[in-house]
Amino acid sequence: MSDPRDPSSPALTPPTSAPAPVSPHPETPDDSSSQALSEALRSSFVIIKLIMIALVVVFLGSGFFTVGPQEKAIRLRFGKPVPEDEAAPLGPGLHWAFPYPIDEVVKIPVGEVQAVSSTIGWYYTTAAMEAARNEPPSGPTLNPATDGYLLTGDGNIVHARGTLRYRITEPGLRYTLDFAAASNFVRNAFNNALLYAAAHSNVEITRDTTAFREKATARLNQLIGAQNLGITVDQLAVQVIPPRQLTADFVRVLEAEVKSSTTLNEAKKYANETLSKAQAEAKARVNTAEAERKALVEQVASEAKRFSDLLPEYRKNPALFRDLHYAEALQRIYPNVSEKVIVQERGNGQPRELRLLLSREPPKPKAIDIPKAHEDKH
Amino acid sequence: MKRNPITILVGVLLLVVFVLLLFVFQVRQNEVAVVTTFGEATRSAPPGPHWRWPWPIQKVHQFDQRLYNLETKFEQVQTADGYNLLIMAYVGWHISEPQLFFRSFGDSVGKAEEAVEGVLRNAYSGGVGQHPFSHFVAADEKELKLLEIEREMLAKVQADVRANNYGVEIAFLGIKKLGLPESATEAVFELMRSDRQVQVSKIQFEGERQASDLRSAADLASAKVLADADGQATRIRAQGESEAAKTFAVFKQEPELANFLLSLGALEAFMKEKTVLVLDTQTAPLNLLKGPNAGTTNAAALPRPKQP
Repeated sequence: MSDPRDPSSPALTPPTSAPAPVSPHPETPDDSSSQALSEALRSSFVIIKLIMIALVVVFLGSGFFTVGPQEKAIRLRFGKPVPEDEAAPLGPGLHWAFPYPIDEVVKIPVGEVQAVSSTIGWYYTTAAMEAARNEPPSGPTLNPATDGYLLTGDGNIVHARGTLRYRITEPGLRYTLDFAAASNFVRNAFNNALLYAAAHSNVEITRDTTAFREKATARLNQLIGAQNLGITVDQLAVQVIPPRQLTADFVRVLEAEVKSSTTLNEAKKYANETLSKAQAEAKARVNTAEAERKALVEQVASEAKRFSDLLPEYRKNPALFRDLHYAEALQRIYPNVSEKVIVQERGNGQPRELRLLLSREPPKPKAIDIPKAHEDKH
Repeated sequence: MKRNPITILVGVLLLVVFVLLLFVFQVRQNEVAVVTTFGEATRSAPPGPHWRWPWPIQKVHQFDQRLYNLETKFEQVQTADGYNLLIMAYVGWHISEPQLFFRSFGDSVGKAEEAVEGVLRNAYSGGVGQHPFSHFVAADEKELKLLEIEREMLAKVQADVRANNYGVEIAFLGIKKLGLPESATEAVFELMRSDRQVQVSKIQFEGERQASDLRSAADLASAKVLADADGQATRIRAQGESEAAKTFAVFKQEPELANFLLSLGALEAFMKEKTVLVLDTQTAPLNLLKGPNAGTTNAAALPRPKQP
């Protein structure tokens, strides 16, 4: 919508100049040159105007900005937060603000996890030295200027370090607008929490850091609340070790514990074995007794039966019965006898002396006097 | 000359912008400004837009009003009971009264930090010196007074800063680091070492004691189990014998027969294995060797089981 009639410049030409160029040239050459000048001026004004419009568009367009997925934004109008932004900061998406001198956009990395490490409590080393296992050797003492450490409640020295991961959760102005370097405060709060937790612990935190970590977390959360840091702890990792000067002594305690538990396990094994062996043995003894009982009862019963069976026969003629059964028994016995020696009686009726050689197998036979085996017949 | 209204508008706008640039300044949310009139601090300005007279009349000094972190060196102080302790604390401070601040330190935040650090160092000797060593390091948590010490130091620092009219405020204070003089660490190591040795022997002793307790308890328990079993076995046998005894009543009808049968049975059982039998000719039936009229019988045996 450029105007053909531009007012400001063509002072030299009369207002009738618009139709003039088309007319044949009654003008002087002077006139025609001014004509050309005005022509040039006019077109350059059009260009300037276009540029200005473009500038205005760019100026206003520069007010668009995007807020990333992990961000919130607040607009400061003349340096002061726009009230509705303070109540509810702008979320992710495309937004518009007046360009610079009027509005300013402050972005706050809300969701992003940030990390700080503790700066106290560890002996002098660097990540590179640690990776290369080339840490400076430990002297007999700890130099307070270079070596960090924590004092535990029981007066011992431990080294501790940790990493804290946190997010800005209160999306207000605090983190960015209240603290010159908020991460420094977070770090110092973390340091203070470690110091406090160590003071409320004993040296056993070098073995189990759980309680230590809980104490540090509690203290840290307390500090975050008290100092209005506007962050939430995502994760707090700590490492606690005894002083390097005493590593061997601490290892010895561990070894003693392992050994002691081995001894204990062996004792448990022994106890189990002994007891189960004893139980098995006990059962065997009871079973044997039971078997013996049954055998005895049955044997006696069978004998009693035999007795009852034989009784009537015996009563008929006891002497004959005896002889009969005696002979029968001898018949049964003699086949079992492997060697039989029959000794003739001496004529005078004196007993004979018999010598028995026992243990024929051993090389040196030994003679043994048998107390004479004789029996007199009535 | 004919004036286009748009041109006029643009001109007026430019004029307004120029005037605003001269007469207005804005203070960002995190800042505070001090306005000086001919070099004299006349007022302070909170965040937002403000009027001013243009330069040489008024000048605006802007300060960051956010909290600054400040810590001292690791300082050695003596506790109330004469121990040397190293302490380092940090504070969060900010400018609370810009005009006072400007009068004290001008534009220099560095100078202000030095002043605050001095105040903090004073608080060490004043605050820490009031407490015995056990308030910093104590096995008993009730003895520990770290929080109280921090509170006392904070109160002292705040009071000092106010008294000095620095125009700053200390928002909080925390102990960052505690330590012992270098020479003392060696003594601590020595103590810790002997403590570990005590632990080692305690663990060993305890382990052995528990193990031997377990063993002897097991021995005792198995002995008891066996004794119980023996008792039970004896009872069972006795029961068997009493059952058998009832049957013996049968034998009373003819004790002689019973005796004879038992003896026969015993003899048979005795002779079951390989036996060497030495007999004389008086024994039946060998007495028959002497003649057909041998009368009664008797046997004399010398049995000898052979062990292969």
